[in-house]
Amino acid sequence: MPIVWYVVVSALVFCIGTYGVLTRRNPLVILLCLELMLNASNLALIAFARQHGNADGQIFAIIVLVVAACEVTIGLGLIVALYRRRLPIDVDQMNELQG
Amino acid sequence: MNALLAVAQIKGPHLDWAGLSPLIALLGGAVTVLLLGLLRNRLVRRICVPLLTMLVLAAAAGLSIWRWHHAATLVSGALRVDDLSLLLGLVAIAAAAACVLLSLRAAAPAVAGEGEYHALLLSTVSGMVVLLAAQNFVTLFLGFELLSIPLYVLCGSELRRRGSLESGLKYLIVGSVGSATLLYGLALIYGATGSTDFSGVAAALSSGSLASDPLLLTGVALTAAGLCFKCSVAPFHQWTPDVYQGAPTPITAFQAVATKAAAFGIFLRLFDGALINAQPSWGPILAALAAITIIVGNVGALGQSSLKRMLAYSSVAQAGYMLGGVLVSTRLGLQATVFYLAIYLFMNMAAFAVIVARERETGEGDDIAGMVGLGSSRPLLAWPMTLAMLSLAGIPATAGFIGKVYLIDALVDGGYAWLAVVLVVGSMISLAYYLRVVAAMWMRPSAGVAGARPIMAGGSAEAPTATRLSGLEVSVVAALFGAATLVFGIVPSPLLSLARDAGKALTGIF
Amino acid sequence: MIALSLVIWLPLAVSLLAALLPGQWSGRVAAAGSLVTLGFAVSLLFGFDTHVGGLQDVTDKVWIGELGTHYKIGVDGLNLALVLLAALLFAAAFVAAAMREWERPSTFFVWLGLAQSAVFGALLAQDLLLFVAFFDLMLIPFYFLTGGWGGPNRVAATTKLVIYTLVGSLLMLAAAIATGVLAEPSGGHLSFVLSDLRALGLSKGSQEWIFLCFAAAFLVKMPAFPLHAWMPDGYRAMPLPVLAVFSGVLSKVGAYGFLRIVLPLFPQASAHYQTLMLLIALASILYGSVMAFTQTDMRLIVGYSSVAQLGFITLGIFALRPAGAQGAVLQMVNHGLVTAALFFIIGVIAARAGSEDIREMGGIAFRAPVLAALFLIVALATLAMPGSSNFVGEFLILLGAFQAKIVIAIVAFTGVVLASVYALRAFIRAMHNRLGESVESHEIGLRDVVVIAPLVLVILAIALDPQVALIRGQRTVTASISAAQAIVNPPSAAAGVPITTGTPASPGTVSPPAGAAQQLPQRNGGSGPSSSAGSSSGGSGP
Repeated sequence: MPIVWYVVVSALVFCIGTYGVLTRRNPLVILLCLELMLNASNLALIAFARQHGNADGQIFAIIVLVVAACEVTIGLGLIVALYRRRLPIDVDQMNELQG
Repeated sequence: MNALLAVAQIKGPHLDWAGLSPLIALLGGAVTVLLLGLLRNRLVRRICVPLLTMLVLAAAAGLSIWRWHHAATLVSGALRVDDLSLLLGLVAIAAAAACVLLSLRAAAPAVAGEGEYHALLLSTVSGMVVLLAAQNFVTLFLGFELLSIPLYVLCGSELRRRGSLESGLKYLIVGSVGSATLLYGLALIYGATGSTDFSGVAAALSSGSLASDPLLLTGVALTAAGLCFKCSVAPFHQWTPDVYQGAPTPITAFQAVATKAAAFGIFLRLFDGALINAQPSWGPILAALAAITIIVGNVGALGQSSLKRMLAYSSVAQAGYMLGGVLVSTRLGLQATVFYLAIYLFMNMAAFAVIVARERETGEGDDIAGMVGLGSSRPLLAWPMTLAMLSLAGIPATAGFIGKVYLIDALVDGGYAWLAVVLVVGSMISLAYYLRVVAAMWMRPSAGVAGARPIMAGGSAEAPTATRLSGLEVSVVAALFGAATLVFGIVPSPLLSLARDAGKALTGIF
Repeated sequence: MIALSLVIWLPLAVSLLAALLPGQWSGRVAAAGSLVTLGFAVSLLFGFDTHVGGLQDVTDKVWIGELGTHYKIGVDGLNLALVLLAALLFAAAFVAAAMREWERPSTFFVWLGLAQSAVFGALLAQDLLLFVAFFDLMLIPFYFLTGGWGGPNRVAATTKLVIYTLVGSLLMLAAAIATGVLAEPSGGHLSFVLSDLRALGLSKGSQEWIFLCFAAAFLVKMPAFPLHAWMPDGYRAMPLPVLAVFSGVLSKVGAYGFLRIVLPLFPQASAHYQTLMLLIALASILYGSVMAFTQTDMRLIVGYSSVAQLGFITLGIFALRPAGAQGAVLQMVNHGLVTAALFFIIGVIAARAGSEDIREMGGIAFRAPVLAALFLIVALATLAMPGSSNFVGEFLILLGAFQAKIVIAIVAFTGVVLASVYALRAFIRAMHNRLGESVESHEIGLRDVVVIAPLVLVILAIALDPQVALIRGQRTVTASISAAQAIVNPPSAAAGVPITTGTPASPGTVSPPAGAAQQLPQRNGGSGPSSSAGSSSGGSGP
């Protein structure tokens, strides 16, 4: 199977993730969509690593996995902090800061 | 660890400890500060932790100065410490030091825990140092995230205030979208060129056969978009005012200056280094973005009454100016951008220090009303703010004038005279809102504004009652950076020669 | 010989020093400092060697090496008279201000000192970027002086003033940098020193847009007709001593910029846009005169008359003839003296009438003959009465204009007539007629006399001997317009036209190549990249 299909799939996943981030209102779902975007990159990286026959992309992908985990942790932490203060966790209702 | 690797007969990369020393100082300092913050003694937490943080920053600054003119490639080509990364790293370190001083009596460290707050600050700075020295996509992304993730937490660190948490979450979401976009772009560039090293990418592009490769161009576009999120370049700037306003003011000050320095540093390295051969394809697009950014930022700032929002839009506009220095891809442009980033530290820090002071003194939050009559009541705060505003507007005898002259020089020299005109038009628009602040300070009488009104949404939740002085350290920061704005406006040569040294770091441009 | 840097920075230094003293003293010390500066400026006049063309007392140091900018200052026939004028008017303003009570006096005098330093800097700068920096800097103290100590509606007025002027100035900044970059020889060294730039020259296409940017900046500052909208509000809001220097000196810096920067550096564009500039000048003359006639606020009468007078000055400059340019320089000095004196007199009259509106004045002369006499002298000078120096100035300007565009000169003549109408109207309404309702007429006090009388004496002195101002400027002025003149009016034709300047000191016609040659030794004497002496832009008209 040619590499290009993997790239196409990754592009589709990336677009779905982007769409989700832009349209969803629940920050949890947005975090999921962010994961989609990051993993789309991972897929592309691994596919390209295979194509070029070097390990750079795979190493990169492993590091991205770690970083993505950190990011989600922080995101969840902030959501919990908001929830504990009984603030709305709907991004459309986050209107404290608007101008 | 090293010993273990040696035992296992795995040949690890040669480590140049001297070159890595600023980074090690910062990371080691972050861990030490975190541990120190665990002590329960109030004195230790309120005095020793900031003190130790300052010492760590001073050590990192000292080590950076020690490495000046000792360009070295570290960790098998993953990082390169040269004058460019050192100078912008010093900007970030100075901004962090100012942030520590401004946070001494702020609410955020007390709420979030002094140890955590300062450790996060130090790790952000180390992320900037990594990012500025990055020589391949992996270190770039690592530095980028090491910079961003602690900053998300810092923005949300004033846990009791809703605006702070919101700004943290908003910044996280938008920042992560930026990171993901950047990452996908990097993946596509890797796919097109087969290398994650900047040098490998540059070599692959130098043949010219890839110039119109759609994979590469898409990758470059996505990478640029990701970096533009961080630099708050329009149309990726919408998060800026909200996050600036919501975050604790010392953190806003820090991120306004340091994040810009780091993000533009890597912009320079990546676009004027690795991707220099594709300049004909991305140059005009970035020029269009720069023009849009200048206009959007300056127009957006016009109607703001919150000073932090105003400075946020102004930072968008300034990002547009600096992007001009990046996109001409000349040594002159590089030097102009570096110089502007350095003076941006002075003028923004002076302004934010005054805002911090007024938030604590008046209970007006960061509203422009808090500035009314400052000229007669607190001239020592009014002067730095005046200098900062005039400098941001680019008035002669301030550093901002020299910076703009340098940028315009680079733009005209690089064949983007039209962008220079846009820059000038933007500066004209900007006069309207910068001068509004100056007029409020000097030309309106102060009539019992202090403590009269309830606290506003954006301000720090502190001292809403009586007028009290904001602390000596805030005035010192304001005066110091205000004076620097003036001095480097009259005698810019020392700073210019530093920028020139930094400009020699990249070899592919002329 | 006095180092020019001392002249530039002394006012700021003294006023900063004075700021450390308690309230009342700061004004006195600052005023004393301004008198010392005036003394230095006068000593410049006596130290000036009239036999040497080009710059004297040059200080040339690298300011920003990376940008090819030098801290180069020097005095020549063109700026000598204006430096003297500025020193005199600032001294008058300082003295007048020191005798009044101000809120926060030390800050006030710091701004005034900075204003003086910046004006001197702009007048003496011999480097394009240095000039632009001082030119922009000049505005900032006036912004604060107007906004902090001005009359009603001052914040809006001062913001309008700053935005108008800085819009022009920023365009000029971009144009100035473009001038340096575009003139940079390939492989050469970037330089903004005026003599280097003049040697290098620009293509006609770039000259044209750069010319427009510079012209916008200078015309706003003057102000000229379509760009004067900031003037009425600004003039109404400014404190009077500040307004006297603002109107007397700053507007001249704009006109001076044309002679110092625009005509020598962009001769082809100046020739190209000659008609446009003459029409703007003409419009300013007519509009200013008519408006001055219809206003009732004394400040605005003087303000609009300034628009008209600066129209005359522009007319003289862009006639591109030696006579016109010399008339323009003379008229700059005259007008500066006259306007400043008028504003100080307005202050005195307003103190008696309780208003600055001429409808509420009247009859002041009965009990104040000295005041009336001073006012009359100044008013007659304003309307260019024969025998006054203004007459000589306007005569030379119109002479130049006649040689260039006869139709425009004839129309401009009506401006002279209108000037007598509005000047006399103002004088009669204020000083004669029926006594105004709230007027308390009494003689001018000693405090005001010490400010106004010296100005009037200088006006009289120049009227007796206008050559003083003309002789020293003649060679430089002729040289600065020579390149542009050569294009409009090729030397072969120009040589045949006798140009009478009324000055016996040296022949009126200095042929352009000779005028350009005067600049050459200076150019090679500078520390910038040396250029071949043959590449003079002066004689190379198409």
